[in-house]
Amino acid sequence: MQLASDFRHAYSIASGPALAAVLTPIATASNPQRLRSFYEFSNAQYLTKDLQSTLFHGKSIRVSKSEQAAWVDIFAAYWEAVGEVLKYEERYPGASAVDIFIAWKKVSNALIKGYAGSNGLKAWTLPCLYTVGKFLRTFAIKADLEVAARGSTGYGFQDDLAVDVEKNANLEEAARIINRMFTLCLSDRAPIEESRKWGIYETTNLLFKTYFKINSVGLTKNLLRAINAQSHELPSLDAFPKSHIVTFEYYLGVIHFLDEQYIKAEEHLTTAWQMCHRDAHKNRELILTYLIPCHMVTTHTLPSRQLLAPFPRLEQLFRPLSNCIRRGDLVGFDQAMAAGEAEFVKRRIYLPLERGRDIALRNLFRNVFIAGGYEEPKDGQPAIRRTRIPVSEFAAALRIGTHATNRMGVDIDEVECLLANLIYKGLMKGYIARERGMVVLSKNNTAFPGTGV
Amino acid sequence: MSNSNQAQTNAEVAEQPQQQSKPQVLEEDDEFEDFPVEDWPQEEAEQNAGSAANGGNEHLWEESWDDDDAAEDFSKQLREELKKVEGSN
Repeated sequence: MQLASDFRHAYSIASGPALAAVLTPIATASNPQRLRSFYEFSNAQYLTKDLQSTLFHGKSIRVSKSEQAAWVDIFAAYWEAVGEVLKYEERYPGASAVDIFIAWKKVSNALIKGYAGSNGLKAWTLPCLYTVGKFLRTFAIKADLEVAARGSTGYGFQDDLAVDVEKNANLEEAARIINRMFTLCLSDRAPIEESRKWGIYETTNLLFKTYFKINSVGLTKNLLRAINAQSHELPSLDAFPKSHIVTFEYYLGVIHFLDEQYIKAEEHLTTAWQMCHRDAHKNRELILTYLIPCHMVTTHTLPSRQLLAPFPRLEQLFRPLSNCIRRGDLVGFDQAMAAGEAEFVKRRIYLPLERGRDIALRNLFRNVFIAGGYEEPKDGQPAIRRTRIPVSEFAAALRIGTHATNRMGVDIDEVECLLANLIYKGLMKGYIARERGMVVLSKNNTAFPGTGV
Repeated sequence: MSNSNQAQTNAEVAEQPQQQSKPQVLEEDDEFEDFPVEDWPQEEAEQNAGSAANGGNEHLWEESWDDDDAAEDFSKQLREELKKVEGSN
């Protein structure tokens, strides 16, 4: 039987990924009958016996008695789950995604149990945990969708609130089981070379994804607290495989981003960006979706054409806004925000992007400063820019930036308010001399900090 | 007659899977994908070790204000706008 020989091969070379591939509940292109042939090799009555003899027959691999028992339990549960998957794929009457999820929970529990005690499964088998956890999550999502579809057709009189609470019931249950996988890794006391602590970030990633999906981002804080409490016993981040770290840093970045902690968010997202595999297009696009607004808030700079070129969707998302910010076009900015609103809100980037309006305004007022030219040079001194500028010039600029018609004047009080705001936010340096209707800007190329003038 | 019927069924067939798969596509859209391999050398990463730190990153971002060519235009526009205001006073 193919599955059993794959299992023995994975065990003989102690390859976690190869072993995890054996536990994957899908057929492969090279072996489309993979699940079917495994399911048909036995029946419920002789399953345990058959598994015991096929998985461990001969002397080709040496596996302790307790490990053997664990694998027999795991594959017995797997066999049942495969049965449900096959029924579902063949649209067998009564087959359901919920049943697959229930069966896969048993696989997960058997695997978790397998790690218990000092004679449990070894740390090199951890990829099995990732694979089983990943499919637990996938099957739970499918089960929830099925329940929702059933609810919407059958029971028309259900309370809306109850439906809302229960719409993720299976995924929430999956989260609790994955949480046990997380604890299993974090609490392992074995020496680090053979510790399950190596699985900590990958199980965390799985939980991050799950909590994001059930809209409980707040729960991620508990995981981070637990990891931090153990940090002195964990290997440094760069000792882990890059796939674990890139995913972890991405989610950490997004978590800080949603807390409006853009500086921290940017650090994590930058790490994720730099370590991310060059060919992982979708993931690179996701990282940039959050990194670009962060960068805008923290440094007031915009993505270059070169950065956006490989990502037409991001180009579409950010280019109109960037152009308006650069030109100081406030009306255009508002229009671009309105046009992109649905997409910005869905991606949860509306809030930081909105701050771009201050940068657009800064650029508009900076143009006034540039247009003001230079003072008469005195005694061969280098020319200095005119730093005393009438408020009325800023008002005129605002009329340009807001495309004001002749009839709609710009209120001077409003201009002063906007100026005061920019000064308060550090985007502009100087003060308003109200009695003279003048803005007195800082000299020595510090009037608009960071912009060279 | 039979032709138009067929076209209709075809259209229905084409429409159905789209409707069914749409919500799922939206969900998948947002999710960070699993990497096909667990680890890779830094040379295959977005930023390889050679151009580490800030150095290699500079070309990715550009300043948010216009270049000074556009300043000329703005200056003209501003003078016109100021004239308008003076004119109306």
